[in-house]
Amino acid sequence: MPQAHWIEQAGGKLLVMAQFYPLRVSDIRRETRDAVVVTLEPPADCAGDFKFIQGQYLTFRRRFDDQELRRSYSICAGRDEGVLRVGIKQVEGGWFSSWANEELNVGDTLEAMAPMGNFHIPLDPDKKRNYLAFAGGSGITPVISLIKTMLAEEPQSTFTLVYGNRSANAIMFREELEDVKNTHMGRFNIVHVLETETGEFDLFSGILDREKCDMLLERWVDAKNADFAFICGPEPMMLAVAESLKAHGLSESQIKFELFASAQPGKAKKRAPKPQSAGGSVCRTQVILDGVRQDFDMAKNGQSVLEAALAEDMDVPFACTAGVCSTCRAKIIEGEVEMQANFALEDYEVERGYVLTCQSRPLSDRLIVDYDQ
Amino acid sequence: MSEETGLFDYLEKGGKLTSPGNAPPRYRAELMRIMASFVDSEMAGAAGFADCINDAPGIAERIAASRVVLEKFDHAERVLKIMADFGANAERYQSVHPWAARVDRDMDLGARRQPGDMRLNVFYYPLAGWTDAVVMNVLMGAATIVQLSELSRCSYQPLAEIFRDILPRETRHAELGREGLKKIAGMGDAAREKIRQSIDYWRPRVAATFGAADSPRFALLERFGLRHEANDALLKRWAGEAETILAAF
Repeated sequence: MPQAHWIEQAGGKLLVMAQFYPLRVSDIRRETRDAVVVTLEPPADCAGDFKFIQGQYLTFRRRFDDQELRRSYSICAGRDEGVLRVGIKQVEGGWFSSWANEELNVGDTLEAMAPMGNFHIPLDPDKKRNYLAFAGGSGITPVISLIKTMLAEEPQSTFTLVYGNRSANAIMFREELEDVKNTHMGRFNIVHVLETETGEFDLFSGILDREKCDMLLERWVDAKNADFAFICGPEPMMLAVAESLKAHGLSESQIKFELFASAQPGKAKKRAPKPQSAGGSVCRTQVILDGVRQDFDMAKNGQSVLEAALAEDMDVPFACTAGVCSTCRAKIIEGEVEMQANFALEDYEVERGYVLTCQSRPLSDRLIVDYDQ
Repeated sequence: MSEETGLFDYLEKGGKLTSPGNAPPRYRAELMRIMASFVDSEMAGAAGFADCINDAPGIAERIAASRVVLEKFDHAERVLKIMADFGANAERYQSVHPWAARVDRDMDLGARRQPGDMRLNVFYYPLAGWTDAVVMNVLMGAATIVQLSELSRCSYQPLAEIFRDILPRETRHAELGREGLKKIAGMGDAAREKIRQSIDYWRPRVAATFGAADSPRFALLERFGLRHEANDALLKRWAGEAETILAAF
């Protein structure tokens, strides 16, 4: 049975928050020195929940040192392949990716939510379209899912991949991409751009910066006839590619970005310190917003933390004020509060010290609340 | 915080975020605020307009009004789904505020935020009959097009895509309003006088939806790539379009 987070509603009715399913690891393949491809099997009764759309990702959770970490990894299989696979590249200092690369075994269970993400466009088997994709390093993972699915489901469309890597031995899915080329003869092109190797042409060495992209689009890759372009990789690369594509005639709505996991913090952060003992009726409060700290006193049994901060003319974020939308979420750095209602935060967020400030009243004499974390 | 600084630099240069996992806390909060304001405005707007279906003179107008109501609820639902990706409790959200509630027509709320939901203040004022509803729809419809065009460029790609999808339908709502207004204007001097009165009532209230010219939040939103053009520039564009539309009446 899938595991779920439940919260109690006022009327006693229960409501599902986020659902995790146990997936069995059926295969682990070492793709490069620091990346693995993990094949997963959902439980038979939940197979339908894991029918993915090309370019989507899975969010995993695992406890490290009593703290829950959640990480997302892109599915790197085509829709027609009938398997669920993710690529996990080891990030320096990243707990989850290191664990997956070093300790995960076939037969283990990983907990994951159903596929999410919208790095895709609707496909039409009757259409004859030209797609471009730019991938940097492990940014290839969602892109290979796009390539395989789109070439299979739109038999008249073509796909050109510009794929940047540090060196030849860092290229993920090198053989698989060659196979795709052979399966869809004449409809799939790859341009490898390698940082550390100087080949015959300067065009194919170096990094995917603006200059390189402009050169490629002028001399090698046909942007004029492209219907859509997909970009996944490090942020500077994505910016450079997008700017270059726009300069070569593509509109914003023809360019799809996928920002991958490197933007997420690698390590779990420690929970807030233990609360102080409660004594008086007033709480000395400090609220941090946009790097500015503001101190004020607030009554323990009066306003919420949000109301008190607003009364101090702080422009703190909020929307529903009913504990539902989570716009006013902040982290308790010191002290303790009581939340009157919580219909939005999940257990693991509360464990890490997050609260809904519209619902929080102080219990301790000292309180530090940070909206920047 | 160096990871975050890098991400803000990326956003400032036009980069897009693509999932809740990418969004730093302050970005998330401002994005949620934008989404809540849109959802609440669509919910409250549709709820108010629903009451006017019975005031419509003919079947064609009733169909048009029903369509506007239906699609506005649909737009609210689409954006609420994105809020749910960030942890909002979508099911509960739909019933947490009294969407059809209105203030007295003579009250002046200015641009101050009201307690309760995040709807734009213009949706707190009650509609007074069919002509009034059509005028409001024409003026606010034009404002919505300007505001959605701005938000279609926002740096949260899944939301920008939804706004780009919604924009043609909101444009159609505004067209339906103009067609309705033309019909009313053809009904004689008394009808045209009513139109003028409603224009006088709604014009400043719709103008207030663009917010203060010197909004301190704009700089932050611009840095996050959530906004691009300042409030007063958007207001000016709307005012010009409203002038052209209303010149005929």
